Amino acid sequence: MKKVFLALAAAILAFASAQEINYITGNRGSDVDYATRKAQEYMADHPGVTINVIQGPESATDRAQQYLQFFEAQSGEVDLFEIDVIWPGDMAEHLVNLYDYAGYNEAAPDFFPAIVANNTVDGRLVGIPYFTDAGLLYYRQDLLDKYSLSVPTTWDELTAAAQTIQDGERAEGNPDFWGFVWQGNAYEGLTCDALEWVASNGGGEIVEVQEDGSKLITINNENAIAALEKAASWVGTISPNGVTGYQEEDAREVWQSGNAAFMRNWPYAYSLGNGEDSAVAGKFGVAALPMGSGEGARNAGTLGGWQLAVSKYSANPEVAADFALFLTNHENQLDNAITRSLLPTRTAVYEDQALLDSGSAFMAEFLPVFQGAVARPSTATAPNYLQASQYFFSAVHSVLTGEEDAETALALLELDLESLTGFPTAQ
Amino acid sequence: MAVSTKAPKARQLSDLARQEERTAWWLLFPSLLLLFLIGIYPLAQVFYLSTTNKRFASSQPTEFIGFANYRDLLSMTVRELPVQLDEAGQPVIEDGKKQYESWVRVLPREPLRYRAAFEFGFFGKRYVIGAVNADFIKSVWDTIVFTVVAVALETLIGLIIALALSRKFFGRSVMRTAMLVPWAIITVVSSLIWEWMFKSNRSGFFNALFDRLGWGDGNTVFLVNPALQMPSIIAIDVWKTAPFMALLLLAGLATIPRELYEAAEVDGANKIRKFFSITLPLLLPTMAVALVFRTLDSLRVFDLFQVVFGERRYSMATFAQFTLVSNKDMGLSAAASVIIFIILFIFAIIYMRSLKVDA
Amino acid sequence: MNKQTRKIIGEIFFYILIAIIAIYLIFPFYWALISALKTEGELIAAPATFFPKEITFRNFQAVFTNTAFLRGILNSFIVAGSTTLFSLMVGAFAGYALGKLRFRGRTPTLYTILAMTMFPAVAILSGLFQVIKAIQDIAWLNVPTLVLLILIYMVFTLPFTIWVLTSFFRGLPDSLLQAAQVDGATFLQTFWYILLPLTAPALVTTGLLAFIGAWNEYLFALTFTLQEPGSRTVPVAISQLGGRFAMQEPTGELMAAALIITVPLITLVLIFQNRIVDGLTAGAVKG
Repeated sequence: MKKVFLALAAAILAFASAQEINYITGNRGSDVDYATRKAQEYMADHPGVTINVIQGPESATDRAQQYLQFFEAQSGEVDLFEIDVIWPGDMAEHLVNLYDYAGYNEAAPDFFPAIVANNTVDGRLVGIPYFTDAGLLYYRQDLLDKYSLSVPTTWDELTAAAQTIQDGERAEGNPDFWGFVWQGNAYEGLTCDALEWVASNGGGEIVEVQEDGSKLITINNENAIAALEKAASWVGTISPNGVTGYQEEDAREVWQSGNAAFMRNWPYAYSLGNGEDSAVAGKFGVAALPMGSGEGARNAGTLGGWQLAVSKYSANPEVAADFALFLTNHENQLDNAITRSLLPTRTAVYEDQALLDSGSAFMAEFLPVFQGAVARPSTATAPNYLQASQYFFSAVHSVLTGEEDAETALALLELDLESLTGFPTAQ
Repeated sequence: MAVSTKAPKARQLSDLARQEERTAWWLLFPSLLLLFLIGIYPLAQVFYLSTTNKRFASSQPTEFIGFANYRDLLSMTVRELPVQLDEAGQPVIEDGKKQYESWVRVLPREPLRYRAAFEFGFFGKRYVIGAVNADFIKSVWDTIVFTVVAVALETLIGLIIALALSRKFFGRSVMRTAMLVPWAIITVVSSLIWEWMFKSNRSGFFNALFDRLGWGDGNTVFLVNPALQMPSIIAIDVWKTAPFMALLLLAGLATIPRELYEAAEVDGANKIRKFFSITLPLLLPTMAVALVFRTLDSLRVFDLFQVVFGERRYSMATFAQFTLVSNKDMGLSAAASVIIFIILFIFAIIYMRSLKVDA
Repeated sequence: MNKQTRKIIGEIFFYILIAIIAIYLIFPFYWALISALKTEGELIAAPATFFPKEITFRNFQAVFTNTAFLRGILNSFIVAGSTTLFSLMVGAFAGYALGKLRFRGRTPTLYTILAMTMFPAVAILSGLFQVIKAIQDIAWLNVPTLVLLILIYMVFTLPFTIWVLTSFFRGLPDSLLQAAQVDGATFLQTFWYILLPLTAPALVTTGLLAFIGAWNEYLFALTFTLQEPGSRTVPVAISQLGGRFAMQEPTGELMAAALIITVPLITLVLIFQNRIVDGLTAGAVKG
């Protein structure tokens, strides 16, 4: 009898100390393998902790829907989420404040301040930056050399260079060649591209937070109009008409088959472009995106990337938070950068000799670009960001396809944003 | 009730009738149980939510707002567009056409802001249809056009396939297998295959083919150009679902007694007469059911629009999804779903009445 | 023109028509096949080649070594197969009642059943999620995820099954029923021994369509198997085929996967076809 009791007590104790968390990773081929490996390392150091790695859905819409579904049901079945850089604002009320957990107050200053700011909602840190992303300009070094051009630093230079190369290559018998490919489909990716055009031309960041914390709709201005008109002029000249249906992969396919002089894309295209099957391997370079000519023009790449966030409904938030901190520590970010080409979010990793000696050394060169990346106004417009973004990319898309002129489109967009958010406008 | 009014005869039969009725309900019981157990709560919830301002995954309190969601979705207005005048007061003419003012000037802004859904010309004047939620109105129109055209083509092609397969000919078994291929490929993937074939440059099949044939410049933008979007997506849907029609019609053909044809042959009827006097009327009940379900399915089309058009152009269902997930407006999304439900019901009743399937 | 030449010209047109339809139906499948066999360089090259210059089996290899995908095929067969079987069983009873028996409330019942399929899936997802959670919370029941999926799919395939079967049952002559009644057969006996065999072609067809409907479903499968990777069905597994890098879409692998899952399905249908579906055309129209 006593034995049974002891066994029972032991079982109860074991049950009480066993902490299990479920972690939804991304969907890239190596995500689950990598996360499983890291989970095993962590569990080896923390007996009693079990981490289940779950592969998340592929498309961002599917993923957002699944997450919201869990939140709607206030379900604690998933403890640790990977969330897109535009989601912290929208999901903040379902996520814990990581500052309440051990280690975060000390660690936060080591991360890129822009991302930490993006992930901070009403003073609460709702996501720890896992890896980052920013828009880059890809250029064909061989073609620049062939036509004696240098890497363009302004959009005007890019337009001219793209036209020159396109005319030259077509004259040489490649009818499929285009000067510049980018993402012009009506989707979140167009918000990224268009924000770059607008911000780099001194046209602001759509909705901006003022110094006193109030928010202002700034999109309806001359620099923004000029930027969109410029982009619209590319369609059908240096960019195919079909670019208004392009997403990242469409642009990369044209680029990687050697049929484009310039491309705007994320860093992921770098490793693929140098792959064995690529027509452009070893022939291209990357640079910061060009800037405009308006007042306040600057280089601007849109901030992308993913964060780790802990559910408010989790039964073991401290374990999830601790594991998230482990995944984003220096060694693991280095590992991620070298083995999976994912951009670190800690500044110090870019200076690590191990990174500089690896195939991912190009990252270090662009530290300023990544650090200075422009965030989409997701936190400022929360919880309406996705709707605001849809208004924005629809307006831009209508300008690109010629349905609307830039001036009207932005005036209407301003009205839409006004009624959606209730923020005042700049004028 | 019908039983009690036909007094004497009904009473005689009443024992039998009552037994028949009891059997019927017992036979229906498992189906109804399952449908109600799993289905009724989600369905009822949609109706309820459509009258609230509930936000998806939000702690914001939910309030009853009556029919405000329906008003936002359905408010429409028609306004005439004034002709654009230059400084001298003369109409502005470009490319030989009169230019009109933008809809922004004529559509009301208070209390609800209207946006342009469609513009059309009528008796030399130009009008704009404005809607508070122009995206929804456009999605309803697009979905109905899509459904009507696609279902008509599917039925026609399905009928041809079914009639062809019902006779013996060289290659019939190949054709039978071919017919199943489109159906067997998962919709999400087949949409991707077609999207890949419709690519906007010569790495896509259609542009490569047309280029070889000397049509177009090899950069036709099938899925973005508004004029080509509908034909393209209808082509995909017809490909995918004509076999569904064919299969059902084939089964319907099989139940037509052969003696009827033999009798008609004796009377000297030709093929066309046999088709219209025997095949079509006897096939009609099967065709009606197939039509009802194909119509309901394509009015709810989701995967196809989602993969091929994303947020460029909505079907009613992708609109509901967008409103829920991106806009997080659960009440509005539910109201859109209820409107979809009503539109489907109207279609269903039209079919029932005109084809007499529920008789 | 005599009758003979008219007939020949008619035949030629007939074959041309058949050929066009066959190409329309098969060509996308062919395009997926060559896309899967091309190297990535050739796949994205312009202009597209109509036959691969260099054949690679890498995409097929990648899919075949993906255990989640193979598991998905098995799960899909289980889920779609059971859904079909149960839908047919339950639906045949209901179809018989609605098609051949007289009772009050027949028409409203038909409409109510139809109404079940009239909402877009995304609208009822949230409510369904709550229902499923409630069922899962009944711990002693311990319902496996696959069974839940079968139940959900039945809700969506049943209305279709019932409607089709109702129309087929109704098409059968009443004289058969009366003859059986005269012989003293009960309703169930009539149903089992007389009506069911006669509707075999309809059952097979309905079953096939129900099967493919369940086989295709993505949204519910994704939602309810998210935490249980072992229960994922093929559409979910396919959507999970990720590239090596963020955003990379493995087009070649997707095409390969599409082919791989289609082949067993068609084989299955062919087996059925030779055994049973011949019945479909047995009594069919001549000319």
